[in-house]
Amino acid sequence: MKTLIIVPAFNEARNLPHVIASLREAAPECHICVVDDGSTDDTSRVAGRLGVTVLRSPLNLGIGGAVQLGYLWAYTHDYDAAVQIDGDGQHDPRYLPQVLPLLGDGRADVVIGSRFLETGGFRSTALRRMGIRYLSWMLRLRCGARATDPTSGYRAAGRRAIALFARSYPSDYPEPEAIALAVRHGLRVQDFPMQMKPRQHGESSINWWKTGYYLVKVSLALLLLPASERNWAFTSSSASEES
Amino acid sequence: MIGEHLLPLRLQLFGGALLLAFVIWVLRLIRHHQLSLRDSLSWLLSTLLALVCVIFPQSLRWLADLLQVEVAANALFALAFLYVLFNLLSVTIALSSGAIRVRRLSQECAMLRAEIESLRKSVGVARREEGS
Repeated sequence: MKTLIIVPAFNEARNLPHVIASLREAAPECHICVVDDGSTDDTSRVAGRLGVTVLRSPLNLGIGGAVQLGYLWAYTHDYDAAVQIDGDGQHDPRYLPQVLPLLGDGRADVVIGSRFLETGGFRSTALRRMGIRYLSWMLRLRCGARATDPTSGYRAAGRRAIALFARSYPSDYPEPEAIALAVRHGLRVQDFPMQMKPRQHGESSINWWKTGYYLVKVSLALLLLPASERNWAFTSSSASEES
Repeated sequence: MIGEHLLPLRLQLFGGALLLAFVIWVLRLIRHHQLSLRDSLSWLLSTLLALVCVIFPQSLRWLADLLQVEVAANALFALAFLYVLFNLLSVTIALSSGAIRVRRLSQECAMLRAEIESLRKSVGVARREEGS
């Protein structure tokens, strides 16, 4: 199975060598692509030296645009599976050999790493856990999706999901919306239990007022799920013409 | 008669001239390619509507009666507010679709950069092999 690992990175030059090394160790047969989302440090140079594919965006697109860039690359280069893993070292790649077969034998189109199905590991603050619970409930209510950790950025996508995400992907805190998008398109979304680690260097990009904005924005997005497929993220792109 | 009470002639002339100047300005911007016709349609249409209101102030009285607004001037303010709101929304719509396009262009640009990089590398390897 031709697999691409997408590592979105914004000013992650310090974390990258460690992340790439552990990815290579855990999944040596997978290709790695670092999406440098307009970093101001030497993220892309570090990534280039590590010998991985570097997709360097001229602008900061935000996590949604960066991840979609990875899916676009996977789509145009005909990958069977794409896995997104954060470049800040929170996600443990040793689960990959267990996750990828789920896509390979057609049991799932999207697999989401969930830190709440298993005990242990880093689980974020109590307040944030409540928010995640609420989003999970919201997703089930709005589109019947069962996702215990809808904000998790650790996910694997099969061919159908790659094609969908290359064509349209939500922006600005896209994780829960992307689940709704996948479910709405009849893709099978599945959780996979895993432990996560606290980040290794630097500050998380989400502070308390951003958390509030996050909840309001994502709730609204889920409430206002587009009436038709055409309206997703104002789709008007080369990818939609190709498919 | 009613119209004269509603808008004094001097104010009517001033308002009409202002709106006319605005329309001419918008048209000029379009002709000099500083404003696309598509994005300016809302301005043109709404300004022409405002011009109608200035030229025929009776229409304001009529509108105020329709909405059961006591003072016609208040209907005018409400209308002016709607005018701005409408145009602001159309600007935001244009902005959103612009942002989507910018995002897609940046993504294409990043992919092309990566393609060029890999081509450069393979050309470099081929040259080195030729040389050796």
